[in-house]
Amino acid sequence: MNEVLIKLSRCVELGKIDKVSPYPPDMKGQDGADELAKYALDNGVKPDEILEDALIPAMASVGNRFSRKEIYVPQMLMAAKAMNSAMKHLKPFFLSGETKRKGKFIIGTVAGDLHDIGKNLVAMMIEGGGWEVIDLGVDVSSEKFLKAVEENPGAVIGLSALLTTTMENMKKTVSAIREKHSGSKILVGGAPVTMDYCQKIGADFYSPDPQGAVNYLNELVN
Amino acid sequence: MTHAAFRFDLNELNLDTIQIESVMGYKQGESQETISELIREILKESETIGNIKAEYVIFDNVRFNDAEKTVEINNLVFSLRKIVYGQIKKAESIAVFLGTAGKEIGIRSRKAMKDGDLIKGYIYDVIGSEIVEAAVDRMQDELEKAMLSSSKRITNRYSPGYCDWDVIEQHKLFRLIPDNFCGIKLNESALMDPVKSVSGFIGIGKNVKHNPYTCNLCDMKDCIYRKVRARK
Repeated sequence: MNEVLIKLSRCVELGKIDKVSPYPPDMKGQDGADELAKYALDNGVKPDEILEDALIPAMASVGNRFSRKEIYVPQMLMAAKAMNSAMKHLKPFFLSGETKRKGKFIIGTVAGDLHDIGKNLVAMMIEGGGWEVIDLGVDVSSEKFLKAVEENPGAVIGLSALLTTTMENMKKTVSAIREKHSGSKILVGGAPVTMDYCQKIGADFYSPDPQGAVNYLNELVN
Repeated sequence: MTHAAFRFDLNELNLDTIQIESVMGYKQGESQETISELIREILKESETIGNIKAEYVIFDNVRFNDAEKTVEINNLVFSLRKIVYGQIKKAESIAVFLGTAGKEIGIRSRKAMKDGDLIKGYIYDVIGSEIVEAAVDRMQDELEKAMLSSSKRITNRYSPGYCDWDVIEQHKLFRLIPDNFCGIKLNESALMDPVKSVSGFIGIGKNVKHNPYTCNLCDMKDCIYRKVRARK
């Protein structure tokens, strides 16, 4: 594989955002994901290759290490930020259609719930997995989810909740989506959510960690 | 009704980097220096945060119903469910408490997140959770001391939303206390404002006991506090 892509992948995995970023300390002063992604594009590496050979494998490795509890939320956030700094160079190619993503993923924290850290982590990991993420934010009503599904046919939907009360709003949102778009795939997650609850409310998938969601989405398109 | 209110400075709560790292999942010495340094910096910045408060009011007229696993306070019936009821049923009185880290810490966390500094936002969020827990720990210590003079003991604290106690009962709990008690408001979804707040019951009596570790009673297997407390 291209030497630059190997370096870029390592930067994302270790959370080296750009040259001025002090983290990780042993890479101080070196180019980060930002500079390397730009360099790769300027030197003729195709955006698809950057995504498929560097960013996606790096984020998958981060997600797997998080699932195995080898790293924790701060390192995952650093990696996601490094991934974003590389991804910004690819955005024009996504917009022009030259580079295709795996699909669309709509995510939001359900009505009444203002917690967003877990939801953001999942969104970042899924974006790093090669998906276009439509983040509806927090306190999202069933109507808002429905509108997003209508505007993005075929998108997979992710619902997050951190509270046992607001978790009940997941049920309402799942029912509202099922009523109009019975074939839509719906993922649920958050501290109080379990596989039992997921099945009870008629959602398709539950994962206790972000990488599980990425793996499920990949199974849908592979 | 006995009522007591407390206000704390962050320094009194003795939060340290190791504690914050532990909540994040790190074992001692496992976190990178960059993360530790950032936590130290944010703890320092947080010293200016005011409105760290905790408050309790004691209700002496409580009636337990073994068959229903409920307790009645001021004509309001709380369905505590098996776990909480079992821990609290021998109480003669119940202290209803609220505690908060105040609004500011949440504002700083959200601002950092919005500005793209996700790690800082996350660290503020974790510190906010630890502030409110530490404030309520201190309040609980004071309650325990106050009860000793009448040879009474206290239970652990229990909150709606934990150990099967339905969080919707939060609405009833707030009906027991005056408006804006401890500066906390409740919305329709039983979410407290400020978000970094806790509420609940503490049982008081001659025949109750405090358990050093109760997480094994609860069924939230993935709760971070269960992992942190099990490690201690």
